[in-house]
Amino acid sequence: MIDTILYGLTIGAILYIFSIGLSITFGTMQIVNFAHGMVYSLGVYLFISFLPWTLRIFPLAMALAIAAMLPVAYLIERFIIRRLYGESLDYAIIATYAVLLIGADLIKYIWGTAPQPVSDPIGVPLVVLGVVIQLYRVVVFLSAVVLFFALRIFFTRHVIGKIVVAALEDRDGVRALGLDVNKYFSIAFVIGSGLAVLGGVLYAPITTSEPYMGFHILLLAFAVVIVGGMGNLTGTFISAFVLGMVIAITGRVYSSAADTMVFVVMALVLLKNPIFSFVRRLRGRPAHG
Amino acid sequence: MLEVNSIDVAYGHAKVLHDVSIKLNQGEMVFVVGRNGAGKTTLLKTIAGFLKPTQGQISLEGQGISGLAPEQVARRGVRYVAQDKKVFSDLTVKGNIELAAYAAGEPLEQALARVMSLYPKFKDFLQNKAGGLSGGQREILLIGRALVGEPKLLLIDEPTEGLAAIVIQDIFRILSGMKETVSGIIVEQNLSVVSRLADRIYIMKEGKIERELTDPAEIKNTAELENYL
Repeated sequence: MIDTILYGLTIGAILYIFSIGLSITFGTMQIVNFAHGMVYSLGVYLFISFLPWTLRIFPLAMALAIAAMLPVAYLIERFIIRRLYGESLDYAIIATYAVLLIGADLIKYIWGTAPQPVSDPIGVPLVVLGVVIQLYRVVVFLSAVVLFFALRIFFTRHVIGKIVVAALEDRDGVRALGLDVNKYFSIAFVIGSGLAVLGGVLYAPITTSEPYMGFHILLLAFAVVIVGGMGNLTGTFISAFVLGMVIAITGRVYSSAADTMVFVVMALVLLKNPIFSFVRRLRGRPAHG
Repeated sequence: MLEVNSIDVAYGHAKVLHDVSIKLNQGEMVFVVGRNGAGKTTLLKTIAGFLKPTQGQISLEGQGISGLAPEQVARRGVRYVAQDKKVFSDLTVKGNIELAAYAAGEPLEQALARVMSLYPKFKDFLQNKAGGLSGGQREILLIGRALVGEPKLLLIDEPTEGLAAIVIQDIFRILSGMKETVSGIIVEQNLSVVSRLADRIYIMKEGKIERELTDPAEIKNTAELENYL
């Protein structure tokens, strides 16, 4: 049972780290951003390429992959996402899904379709109550917890964080003060994208990387954001770990139903907060200024 | 100071404002009154940059502002306080003022002092989430936030709507004090407030300016004004 709990916490941690950017994009821009999956998967493939160049120093390759993807994320926000403000929700889905598909094809073109394994960078087993667990998984879980508190400090103490929090609630109110919300959304978008790469790289030694890896986690992350509340960063944290545990426990009983149960939970949440209000909120974007 | 010349505004194909012209001189407090749906809020939102006129011009101190985004209009010294009394509820009261100070480039201590001079009780609430404030306190915080950085013009939509009489007195006191330092266009239905503070009144009906009142005797005649509500 301990290994199941740890697996749930690990998956929850990855889902949380990946979902932060999606949650902010949902909450501030009311845009369903499928391109987040492309940033994630391309970042992981860059990391895999950087590993041999950096003498297999995991943190260094990870930092390089994140740094390499930040300009890509900025360009996506500046030239695709920003043009979708105030446009139909359908356009945002089509445009960002196209980016996701292009990313998958680019990965296939450069790295091929064969799955890419990454070995555990720590490789130290721990024995807890007679059960052997990998220290790396504990590190992944602790990374998510540290990140949660770091982001809390950023969003409650730093003025840029406060502007993003304010814009999540009242975008027009922020604009009426004279602040260009697009600038702060760009910053939040790039931070969220960097975290997506971080989540992908941390997940790489636990799973195998393949060109369509962004599609799978994206669907799970949408469930996390919907269950946790769009733009609700604490809700995203709780929801990620709850759904991570749902995946782990269901997987232990009947592995084929693990992902399905995530969407059952999402459906139950939407039944309480009907899907129509969810869609209305997405569609009820502010007047185009 | 501000001139709105023959603007038309539409939501999609539905025209809401028809050939609306108003003007505001430096230091004036102008009120806009009219029934629900007359176009008062649309007029303020258009001046603030949230809506674009399909025809006509808006100029501030001789410079056109009708094509500008809301943040650009705000940076030219026009602050808009919306009707919904929506503060940044997840931030503290101090956090709300901090954002206004950051946007206006005013030192935080000065901004805090400015807002607390309007409502000294905020001193006890500075670290509280703004979402816990009463409706009246929210309105005062919104007006205070808008005054940070000494704007030229305030656009305030229904500041006393839904507030208790005692709170309306607070708002009235704040608006009276504002007259010394900033010009204002205020949409208001409380004729007692309007008649005591207005330098000029525009009466709107069905998206048009029905009348302009500048005669003090007419402005103080609330019985006459009631016919337009």
